[in-house]
Amino acid sequence: MGTLSFSSVLLIIAALQGPGTRLTYRIRVIEPAEVTPRILASGAVSGPLDSDMRLTLRTDTAEVEALFQVTAFGDTVTVAGEFLTRRLVGRSRRDLPLWEEDTYRRLVRMRWSDTARIYPFGAGKRPQGRSPWVELILERHFAGGEARAAEQFALLDSTRDLSIDAVVRPRRARIILNLVRGDTVSGPRPMDLVLEEPPRAVQLVLKGRATTLIVSLTRPDPAQSARARALALDADVVCLRVSQPAILQPLGTICGRLNNIARQLPLPTGDTLAATFAWPGPR
Amino acid sequence: MADTTHEEWLAQIDAELDGELSLVERAALAKHLATCGHCAGARASHLEVRVALARSAGNPHALVLPRPAIRAGTLTLWLVVALAAGLVGGWVASHRWGGPGGGGTLEDTRGNIVVQ
Repeated sequence: MGTLSFSSVLLIIAALQGPGTRLTYRIRVIEPAEVTPRILASGAVSGPLDSDMRLTLRTDTAEVEALFQVTAFGDTVTVAGEFLTRRLVGRSRRDLPLWEEDTYRRLVRMRWSDTARIYPFGAGKRPQGRSPWVELILERHFAGGEARAAEQFALLDSTRDLSIDAVVRPRRARIILNLVRGDTVSGPRPMDLVLEEPPRAVQLVLKGRATTLIVSLTRPDPAQSARARALALDADVVCLRVSQPAILQPLGTICGRLNNIARQLPLPTGDTLAATFAWPGPR
Repeated sequence: MADTTHEEWLAQIDAELDGELSLVERAALAKHLATCGHCAGARASHLEVRVALARSAGNPHALVLPRPAIRAGTLTLWLVVALAAGLVGGWVASHRWGGPGGGGTLEDTRGNIVVQ
């Protein structure tokens, strides 16, 4: 009976965390006021269950960037926030601004129905005056075939510098390959590639001559800077590894965001391979 | 000394009573006092004050005003006290208000997440 119950729990968890589940971060940025708190901005970020949310708040004297990640387990969810904070602490003898940088992590466990209140500028023993806070509500629902991330943000006070971004690590990408020589371009060769899948052969024809290449999609090396790593600034960067058949040494690797920009790799044959990275279409 | 101002004559009177003037300077001062009733009166007042101070110091027959003597030990002690007070005051002020990034603990300035 115990084994059966445990299996049932695992099945339920798998069903909740599967590709059919969609996660939504619903936020409201609220500023305390004399009578009633004022809503500065509201928005939502949704996507697959492994979607993260990047929140940025800037004032004249402080900047807060935070990446929120959730780990769901049954009726509870763990919210982790990676914070990068810069505070203006004074001016130098040459009258240049001096900033204090701080990096830290916060972790809370909550139920799906709970509301988390995030104090990005701190709320210790001495409240930070009229510093705004962020209300975060997490929702999960059936994806209904929609797998892409979505953002919705309304800034009600345009004097504030606030933003939210969906951070989604692609599982696959649409790659459009062209072979270029001078002013001649081969026909586009679109491919849907899955990350870390075995390499695939692709044939491109330019001026009647066929060129076969072996391509595979990989993730880039971890970002060099701590800020880029903490905020997952390279989350949508993929790398296309290009090699020739039966030759282990690759011709090169093209890395870039999924932003429809063609990136070029010179080939030893004198041609240039142009690879355009984009998000895959819905399926 | 033709262009000497009144203030400078008063300073000369002080120097003369301290025994710091040369013969030439004393002669010039005497010549001026003979013609300046105000300075002569000031010199008499200065002398009376010095006599009173010398009496209070227990030496009414002193030729000049006895200057307070500062002993080396006392001077060193006060220097050490002043230096220590400066160090302590600087440390307290730095701890309380001082320097960029001061004020409040680090945790007070950090963001946090509260579940409601």
